[in-house]
Amino acid sequence: MSKNKPYISIRDIAQIGMMIAIIEACKFALSGIPNVELTSFWLIMFTLFFGWKIVVVVPAFILIEGAVYGMNLWWFMYLYAWPLLVGITWIFRKVDSALFWAIVSGVFGLSFGALCAIPYFIIGKSTGGMSVGVQSAFAWWVTGIPWDFVHCAGNFILMFVLYRPIKYAFQRMCDGY
Amino acid sequence: MKDNKRKIIIGGIVLVTLMAVLGIVYFRNRTVPQSGSKNIVIEVTGSNSVTEEYQLSTEAAYLRLAMDELVDQDSGFSYDGTDGEYGIMIEYINGERASYAEDNAYWALYVNGEYGQNGCDTQPVTDGDVYAWKYEKAQ
Repeated sequence: MSKNKPYISIRDIAQIGMMIAIIEACKFALSGIPNVELTSFWLIMFTLFFGWKIVVVVPAFILIEGAVYGMNLWWFMYLYAWPLLVGITWIFRKVDSALFWAIVSGVFGLSFGALCAIPYFIIGKSTGGMSVGVQSAFAWWVTGIPWDFVHCAGNFILMFVLYRPIKYAFQRMCDGY
Repeated sequence: MKDNKRKIIIGGIVLVTLMAVLGIVYFRNRTVPQSGSKNIVIEVTGSNSVTEEYQLSTEAAYLRLAMDELVDQDSGFSYDGTDGEYGIMIEYINGERASYAEDNAYWALYVNGEYGQNGCDTQPVTDGDVYAWKYEKAQ
């Protein structure tokens, strides 16, 4: 590598910008359908195909979400939920199977409510001790379980249907460079 | 290829197990509303620790609907908040704002003296219950 060559090229920056734009556009387009989202799909696909760039994409996406919609309680859940999905994807990055990634995305959707209950545990614990924390988090989680099933089904179907065509498109795009 | 198959099978087992666990947890712990007429009390304790009490006879299945009835009765009770995927996040009650972002404050819901297990959209209304909204601050 030349001494003057930057670590992040202009192409990298453009790709990162495009990835964030795609996630945000899809998120906005599907905002009318509760718990059906393409963020999980895109984060998995971007991790699989664009490697390290996801390390920039995720924090930028989380910051944009906070700036646009406000840094409320849900925003703090984003700080660990999305990086966790990216981490899991990275561990299994060598697996090339639509069914496998549909299962991973489905499990993530099903676990999302439990992951998001963590701040309610912290708030409850800070106000009334451990038992109130557990009660608050458990109540919040149980109430949202039907929505976790919707999230799971949406994630599973979207990944199963879109994995092959998007993978093909990414491969063609990468071959063009 | 064989390794992929193994991972798919393990993943499938995890998914099905998780679905079963969530289903069992939900059906064992979900709260079912009571039908018919119910007499309830809604209490509001603001930051000044003063408690106001409102009695209501209602057929509402969930607390938010009962609260809407109370607002419509010109009882002096009012509330406002932000609607989200999981229901309303109460910010104002009787004109007093509790903002977690600004001063770590929130409106806590107690049902018969116990910390509430549901939001007001999903809190079933039961005859004789006391629903208390309390202005609280996280420590």
